This record gives sequence, structure tokens and C-alpha cells, in this order.
Amino acid sequence: MTHDDLLSRYNYDEFVPAKFEPWMRFEAGPPLGQPAPDFPLRHLNGEETRLSEIWLRHRYLIVEFGSFT
Amino acid sequence: MDATAGQFASEGVGSIFLYTHEAHPGENYPRLTSMEQKFRHARDLREVLGVMRPILVDALDGACHRAYGSMPNMSWIFAQSGVPVYKADWTDTRSIQNALEYFLDVSERRRSGERLTPFRVERLDFRIQDQTAFYKGLERNGAKAVREFRAAFG
Repeated sequence: MTHDDLLSRYNYDEFVPAKFEPWMRFEAGPPLGQPAPDFPLRHLNGEETRLSEIWLRHRYLIVEFGSFT
Repeated sequence: MDATAGQFASEGVGSIFLYTHEAHPGENYPRLTSMEQKFRHARDLREVLGVMRPILVDALDGACHRAYGSMPNMSWIFAQSGVPVYKADWTDTRSIQNALEYFLDVSERRRSGERLTPFRVERLDFRIQDQTAFYKGLERNGAKAVREFRAAFG
């Protein structure tokens, strides 16, 4: 899959099972109790950060994934 | 979730909202095609829906979201070491509060001298299903989002 294909499929244009079901992969996520993968993220002002920079600042960090829709 | 974040902040618990992709794209919030648009939608989360927690934005290809299982509204809790200690395929305030109270108590027990070792547990939690509020949310996205959800789930 090319990166353009990935962008288009991940950011699907309609809520139909063929387009959203391939992304429902909760069981494929990292296991509990082992170091988790780190990723670059951005603040709303565009400033770059990393998930690890945020979890390091807290005893525990809650991360809610979601969107406006 | 903002209230829960406030409730545990004094215990050193942080809370963020991580912006992913549009689960129910509609005329008002269509599929994401640029980071500029993604930032705009993420800002509306604060300005229109009133989310007060820090909002972080994932890459346009959802690299972080995909690595964690890409569910539309899942929640994870990380320890300071970067080890996940809780994951839920949906976000529920009571479930998260319950987990945090347990983890904070573990810290207390360790401080008091108990020797504790982790083990894995699976549990089925329960969330409120408010169809009226859900459809109200879909309507904000546009009529297309309502139509497509009805077609998929009735």
C-alpha cells in the first residue's frame, strides 16, 4: 500500500463497514505491562512533542483517542 | 472525562485527548485530507464541544492511533515509565476512575511496605448507551453521517 493509499483509507470518506471495519483492531494493540511504542504528536499550536514526553511528566497519563465526529 | 482529569490532577495524573480521524465524516466535518484541516477540527473539539484537556494531534496517517489498535474512542492509561497499565476499547469515565483508584492504592500499599507483583486481569466493564445524545452528535457532523450510521446499524 502506498502512503497516499494509506492516507485515503485511514481517513475514509464514508462510514460503511468495508471502510471502517479494517481499522477496528483493538486486539492488535500493544500488550499491557511492556514498554509501549512512542510517536511524535503535535500540540494545537503546531508545536511538536512526543507521547513519551507527556507520559514522563505524570505519575499516570490517561490518553483518550477520538475526534470531533 | 474533563471532570475525571480534574479529580485526579492533584495525584499527579495527567489526561490528554489525542485527535485521530473522522469516524463519522459528514458535510460539516468531512474526511481529513490535510494537517491544517486536522488542526481545525481538533480546535473545534475545544471551541464547539468544550473539551478542556490538552488536545494533541496525531499524524495525518494516524501512525500512533493505528499502532494502538485504531478504535474510534478507546482509552489507555500509561505509567510514568511508558508502560501501559490499562486499555479499554471504549472510553468510560467510571471505568477509568475505578482503574486509577486501584493504581493509586497500589502506590500507597508499596509505600507502606507491601511487596506487590503485577498480574494480568480481563474484565467486562459497562458504559451508558445514550442513543439520543449519539444521534445529536452525528447531526452536528452533517446529514450524511446520520444516514450512513443508520444504514450500517439501523
